[in-house]
Amino acid sequence: MAPNAHAAPDADGVAGSEDIVAVRDVHYATSGREIFKGLDIRIRRRLVTAIMGPSGTGKTTLLRLITGQVEPNRGSIVVDGQDLGRLNRTQLYALRRRMGMLFQNGALLTDFDVFENVAFPLREHTDLPESLIRHIVLTKLHAVGLRGAATLMPAELSGGMARRVALARAIVMDPKILIYDEPFAGLDPISMGVIVRLVRHMNDALGITSIVVSHDVRAISILADQTYLLSEGTVVAAGSPQELRTSPAEVVRQFMDGLADGPVPFHYPAPDYQAQLLSREGRR
Amino acid sequence: MTLLRELLQALRRMLETIGAVVLFLARMLAYTPAALARFGLVVQQVYNAGTLSLVIIMLCGLFVGMVLALQGFDLLQRFGAEESLGTAAALGILKELGPVVTALLFSGRAGTALASEIGLMRATDQLAAMQMMAVDPVRRVCVPRFLGGVIAMPLLAAIFSGIGIFGAQLVGVQLMGVDAGQFWSQMRTSVEVDDVMEGLIKSSVFGVACSLIAVYEGFHSQPTAEGVGRATTRTVVISAVVTLILDYMLTALLL
Repeated sequence: MAPNAHAAPDADGVAGSEDIVAVRDVHYATSGREIFKGLDIRIRRRLVTAIMGPSGTGKTTLLRLITGQVEPNRGSIVVDGQDLGRLNRTQLYALRRRMGMLFQNGALLTDFDVFENVAFPLREHTDLPESLIRHIVLTKLHAVGLRGAATLMPAELSGGMARRVALARAIVMDPKILIYDEPFAGLDPISMGVIVRLVRHMNDALGITSIVVSHDVRAISILADQTYLLSEGTVVAAGSPQELRTSPAEVVRQFMDGLADGPVPFHYPAPDYQAQLLSREGRR
Repeated sequence: MTLLRELLQALRRMLETIGAVVLFLARMLAYTPAALARFGLVVQQVYNAGTLSLVIIMLCGLFVGMVLALQGFDLLQRFGAEESLGTAAALGILKELGPVVTALLFSGRAGTALASEIGLMRATDQLAAMQMMAVDPVRRVCVPRFLGGVIAMPLLAAIFSGIGIFGAQLVGVQLMGVDAGQFWSQMRTSVEVDDVMEGLIKSSVFGVACSLIAVYEGFHSQPTAEGVGRATTRTVVISAVVTLILDYMLTALLL
């Protein structure tokens, strides 16, 4: 399996109709550090696509690029047929109404209870009558198993529950794309199983496209249809989780097997160990 | 030369910040008609910034008025003009102390609450989540809070002034024995509508300045515990300095 095997653009540079997100030759640097060096990724409709990679490889930054929260220095990002670089604020917000995002910590609005958190997008974007809002919110909360927690405040929820509420909020406007940022981080096995099941269920039942950023190899193996492995600012492997698991590539093996050292070095770049120990210069 | 260069850089940074604040204000003003259409959100913020600050405003107003009466009585007595205490206290409170002390207290109580609340919303991704829900946080979070502060400040200053004058009467008339008739009649004849308007104009301007600073600092804070703390501190310090500078400028303009 060659790196970027699934990521090469068409000859005419236009994403196929099956692609809902096309990231083409994206370069992005922040605070003097180059995060992406010519990134190419295609995300196909109605599939669960996992973005994996070691910590600090820019997985969350990629989500921020796809959602238009930051702009690439070079390259283009097309989402649902619209080039993000050509959209003004109003057009970008219109596009975001077709997207839902689940933040790592849930990002629930702490002033509102669970019901109002889920109702928030409906109240902001629609003039639906209260009875209909109640019906929709309770339906979404029921889908994530938290109809009974409607009156709880975010501070009263466990990490797993908060993410399920955030998921209910993310699907309340019936988006085409659902984006998950580290949805399994810090969860106990039961909560993680619930979230894995919900992500798959929502994707299949609602016919949406899911993009999951995670470094949980086991969860992604169960969940994802296609996977991109990022490292050093580019895609180093792409394919199904099964293809990645059998890949002979050293960097893939290191990540999938959880090896401490390898192409991704254990040590952060540093001067010679012995020379530094013998030096009299403080911490450096 | 190095000092000059650093001074120029500092001046440039200051101008950049002022430009950013003005642009931020323009963005909020553009959203104001839409925010006023959902007046419930603004009323809630008037409650947060105004009603919750009432106790401290009233308490401070009472003691400021009492101190002013003590000092004023001591000064006026030297000239045998203690019956003018009502006028002196009323003018001092309505035109100067009411708006200024209210603004300082507002920035310490409501301003810090605004800055830390918005800063924490940024640190916990609540603002990013709103953006992802296609809701502009400036429109939904900043504008109602800004308008709440702008509306609350003159009301608080009026309450401060009323309680302050009551405190001055308490000390002047009840404690020092100034004639009550003289106290109130002198005040009625000397204090004009323009004096009240001066206080109102000042408190309205301070309301815009202090609310803008609090909301701007909170919205642009670094998303860390230290960043939120720094934004809160900057809110108090900048608000106090700006209030006193504006006070001088407005006094010179309105006299």
